[in-house]
Amino acid sequence: MGVAVTTPDLEPVPQLAGYRGWLRSNFLPYALISPSVLVIAGILAFPLGMLVWLSLQHYGLRELIQHSGEWVGLNNYRTILVDPLFHQVIVRSLLFTFTCVFLTVVLSTLIALLLLRVRQAVRVIVMSALVFVWATPVIVSVDIWQWMFDYEFGVINYLLTQLHIGNFIHHNWFENPVQGLGVLVVVVVWGAIPFVTITLFAGLLQVPADIVDAAKVDGASAWHTFWFVTAPLMKPIFLIVTCLSTIWDFGVFNQIYVMLNQRPSSDYFTIAIYSYRESFGVTQYGLGAAIAVVMVLVLVFVTFFYVRETVKVAEIS
Amino acid sequence: MKFRKGWFGVVSVAVALVATACGGSTGTNPADQTGTLTVWLMNGSAPASVIDSVNADFKAKYPKVEVKVEIQQWGDVGTKLDTAFAGSSPPDIVELGNTLVAKYAAAGALEDITNKKSTFDNSSTWLQSLTDSCTVGGKLYCVPYYAGSRAIIYRKDFFDAAGLKPPTSMDELQTAGQTLMNAHKNDPNFSALYFPGKYWYAALPFVWDFGGDIATQSGGKWQGSLNSDSAQQGLNKLQTLVSTLSRADKSGDEAKQDAAFAQGHIAMIIANGWEVGVITDPKAGNPALKDKLGAFPIPSHNAGQTAPVFLGGSDLGVAAKSKHLDLANAWIEMLTGQKHMTDMATVGGVIPNTTSLLNLGTGLNSVFFGAAKNSRFVPNSQNWASVESANVLPDMLVKIFTKQQDISAATKSASDRITTILNGGG
Repeated sequence: MGVAVTTPDLEPVPQLAGYRGWLRSNFLPYALISPSVLVIAGILAFPLGMLVWLSLQHYGLRELIQHSGEWVGLNNYRTILVDPLFHQVIVRSLLFTFTCVFLTVVLSTLIALLLLRVRQAVRVIVMSALVFVWATPVIVSVDIWQWMFDYEFGVINYLLTQLHIGNFIHHNWFENPVQGLGVLVVVVVWGAIPFVTITLFAGLLQVPADIVDAAKVDGASAWHTFWFVTAPLMKPIFLIVTCLSTIWDFGVFNQIYVMLNQRPSSDYFTIAIYSYRESFGVTQYGLGAAIAVVMVLVLVFVTFFYVRETVKVAEIS
Repeated sequence: MKFRKGWFGVVSVAVALVATACGGSTGTNPADQTGTLTVWLMNGSAPASVIDSVNADFKAKYPKVEVKVEIQQWGDVGTKLDTAFAGSSPPDIVELGNTLVAKYAAAGALEDITNKKSTFDNSSTWLQSLTDSCTVGGKLYCVPYYAGSRAIIYRKDFFDAAGLKPPTSMDELQTAGQTLMNAHKNDPNFSALYFPGKYWYAALPFVWDFGGDIATQSGGKWQGSLNSDSAQQGLNKLQTLVSTLSRADKSGDEAKQDAAFAQGHIAMIIANGWEVGVITDPKAGNPALKDKLGAFPIPSHNAGQTAPVFLGGSDLGVAAKSKHLDLANAWIEMLTGQKHMTDMATVGGVIPNTTSLLNLGTGLNSVFFGAAKNSRFVPNSQNWASVESANVLPDMLVKIFTKQQDISAATKSASDRITTILNGGG
């Protein structure tokens, strides 16, 4: 995209003769891009560099107070790589992320398709509800979810019992970690749906109606129309929302931390919680930093393919 | 400090420099000392009236010193303290939960006040457990502030209706609880003894009463001992009580126990003295319960005795990086002195820092004050805070109560983890 925009600008450059022309063609692009590069370096590369540097040190509370760590090379990485808990955390985080992203994208697509069909008034109501969910601060909403699933006073247990689905009085949703993580998936997906739905809906509006109509005239079923006509046209948007959702859901922290009263047991550790616990709970900042670095690496690996596809699609279009 | 023009400004800056340089040496007149003292107190620690009165007394002696008291929340205080101590100007005075002191003292965050001990009121009669919590490597790093010990709060009306008296042994507690469960068998929400699974402070008395402990130290090495026979015996007793008498969340914590108690389906909880106020609070609780509440100490398995309880509480420390070490100690001297400790006990209803004032507990409070006399503490190691952060004890209890593991397996893995962490492993 960047190339497409700048190329026409630069075309007249060869016609400029002399030193000025040379200067302009060689330095101007760098000069123009340098503010962005500086900002990105300042807010991204510098902290990331510090994180890597910290991960190579033994850095506890004493070191924090004295502002000097002890260089230990790759020891922190060795420690976490042989820790069975860390392996569980990685697998749990990946499964959790996959489930959340899959459900978010599928449900959001369904809602977006529904929004295309309904009347204007209904669309406004649904959109407002979605924006409301999106605008609710995550701490506030998780607090409400926590009360709803509360063991003692929770409305979910009350409703399920009243509806004769079973005896849910004093049912503990978090006693069994699989069930507890299921509840957390619901909370995360609930919070993620608005953005993805609205984005996909905007994308759907861009799909030319005549192509869809033509497919229908040719006798394509609704499913075929979606799968063979709409979905391929929406591919760039699907890629972007999947990519963003993966990044967000892999780093999920607030929902788990608040839902479990800031004391999640190790059955609920995702990689972000684990890193926080090692850094700030057990004051092993070096070890926590090493976990965070691994988290970044896993994310880079997972999102690499999405980003590559996104770039490809962007170049074609 | 604002800069003022003219000679007055020059003089006051000079005075400030002298005060800082001398650290308020004995030759300095208190009335000339200047500066700002920042004090971090925890939410709910001292009634505002007590702090106001301390500040008024301090102002009278040090008129040019400004004191800023900032109230912190328990939930995130660990992270805030780490960050503050790492900075160049931490708060001068910090209130620390007594299980946190060793960690900060060992990291060099607190001033060594061993030589100043005798300047504090009642230092010879400070509560032993609190003094222990302030002592690291034989040196004193903080001043005991106040304590909290737990006892059983119970519904007198439920006991009367069932013809029961406060139990004086663990077996009697079990029998009384069973009688209450039978008397309320039509109430599916009823708990005779409400015990949330993660409530480790309330589980420790059972371990200690049978002679067990969390960890023991020999030759500088810690060894987790929750898997000892005696500790397992205590946990076994507790598990029986919980499985037969409690409908509390087996994986929940005690944060909501007062709200639950106020709803009226609970006969007994293990609680701190101040929780009576939460239960009967007109807004958050049920004031109608005011005259129906009683308290008795957690009974021992030996009839007629009481079980040792965990002595919670807070200490006051001075940041080693403080620029006003002497002023900070002077402020602590006032708050922990005879006058204001008396107020803490009578107005605040908390257990004061000295055995000489334990007779000030009246009514229900006298039970909690009395419980402090037979109290114990967690292993006094700089790494204990990490055991707490790693949730070792709550996780172990949840595994036992939910029967995910039997007592011997759960205590074995908890003990191993405690051994590792206390000896400096992550």
